[in-house]
Amino acid sequence: MSRDAMRELQGEKLKRIVRHAYENSPFYRTRFDEHGVHPDDIKSIDDITRLPFTIKKDLRDNYPFGLMAVPMSDIIRLHASSGTTGKPIVVGYTRQDLDNWSEAVARCFTAFGLGKSDLVQISYGYGLFTGGLGAHDGVQKIGATVIPTSSGNTQKQIQLMQDFGSTAIACTPSYALYMAETIRKMGIDARNLKLRIGIFGAEPWTAEMRRELQEQLGIKAYDIYGLTEISGPGVGGECECQNGTHIWEDLFYPEIIDPVTLQPVEPGQKGELVFTTLDKWGMPMIRYRTRDLTSLNYDICDCGRTCVRMGKILGRSDDMMIIRGVNVFPSQIESILLEFPEYEPYFLIEVDRVNNTDTFDIQVEVKPEFYTDQINLLVRLRQRLTSRIQSVVGIQPNIRIVQPGTIERSTGKAKRAIDHRKFE
Amino acid sequence: MLIRQISVFLENRQGMFAEIARLLGNNGINMKAFTVSETEDFGIARIIVERSQIDRAFNLIKSNSYAVTMNQVVYLECGNVPGAMADAMERLAAAGISVEYMYAFADSSSEYSRVIIRPDNIELANQIVQEL
Repeated sequence: MSRDAMRELQGEKLKRIVRHAYENSPFYRTRFDEHGVHPDDIKSIDDITRLPFTIKKDLRDNYPFGLMAVPMSDIIRLHASSGTTGKPIVVGYTRQDLDNWSEAVARCFTAFGLGKSDLVQISYGYGLFTGGLGAHDGVQKIGATVIPTSSGNTQKQIQLMQDFGSTAIACTPSYALYMAETIRKMGIDARNLKLRIGIFGAEPWTAEMRRELQEQLGIKAYDIYGLTEISGPGVGGECECQNGTHIWEDLFYPEIIDPVTLQPVEPGQKGELVFTTLDKWGMPMIRYRTRDLTSLNYDICDCGRTCVRMGKILGRSDDMMIIRGVNVFPSQIESILLEFPEYEPYFLIEVDRVNNTDTFDIQVEVKPEFYTDQINLLVRLRQRLTSRIQSVVGIQPNIRIVQPGTIERSTGKAKRAIDHRKFE
Repeated sequence: MLIRQISVFLENRQGMFAEIARLLGNNGINMKAFTVSETEDFGIARIIVERSQIDRAFNLIKSNSYAVTMNQVVYLECGNVPGAMADAMERLAAAGISVEYMYAFADSSSEYSRVIIRPDNIELANQIVQEL
């Protein structure tokens, strides 16, 4: 499809979805009215800049179903991801939405070179997380065979991979590296496995990790991009050129804005990625700020696809970190500490990657009156905090109790997280 | 006899106990005995100093921003002969006393071994130790 034809299509779809949102969602109606914009003002895709932004807080404030733009009877699936205060953000899909989502995932898989005769092992978690079921629906759409192992139990996964002859694996890139290591430890020669394609996403990864994965597992490793708010995995994916992530922009319209001025940047410049779902009816997202920093390349790709390519994710315009594939906000840790009278509200998160696994250390201080001579009380206190953080955030931290007064107290912009991982 | 003991929280980093020892040393305070208990994440140093110096030691450590507490423990002088410790521990056990932790230190100038005991029932344990 030519760029002009694409823009034409995007304009028509934008008009439809904006009118749908305005007429069926009190949230968007109020937001548009306050912003002085009406669906009649939207005549082409260029008019998208007249619309107000939507942010993650809007999803939290309207928890659980406040952003739905159809009756709940038309919603046939819910997914959720962790939010900043432990309250998840919830997304709802109509049958049409699920069809469009699986279409997007199917396009990624096709671009990776997968087809009917492939056996795709899905080691993303199944559940509220969009990774497992999103990839699952995509595999079914292309008519390949799903092996729904979900995450965990690595040795068994590898056994099945060997016995079933899985030709593709879908998981986080760091889990794939861990699998590669386990395969070696089990004394299996990866060259004897039938694996040929890796479908990796849900966390940033480096060219170095790609090289290692391709070498150790004897596969081509492809990036798949997505976020729960916009559907889930499959918003975009790489092609055989492995040179940028194609965004399926007839479904998800991407913009890059300056995160400070909120104005669009020149094509090709870096900035914050913003998505508008052009064909999502249950819970449309209009100009949703992803907080991911990247750039868009509109040059035609060597593969022949005309869909825009997104560059590497260069960072975040907020303080979110992705640790072991899970979104973590420092503010989550802060609000948990405030629940405990024994702890000071100060902390320092340190993240690193050791043996291909993310480490997640949190330094905390116990209030002076709660330091005690009794080790078991402190051990129990530490265990309670570990469990609480694990249940809210979804991954287990290594809590390090440090002596009083050692964590930086500077008001305002205290450095609350240090990420030692290298993604270049 | 009941005596006072200083407990210092040690975060898990190199040189932590050295700092405490140096602080006391520089201020002319000698450690008569100590023990360090550790968990996977942190440790606690329990320290005995001269009775006349303990308040100063405590304030010194506290004012240098370390987490420190002071508590009572039972001091036992136990004959430096085979079976003496067994006798003492059997008496405590018979009285239903549990020991949270204990540590011993020797003094070459004395015929006794000195033992520090942190029991659950400190008064009763002290009474028994006096009668030994």
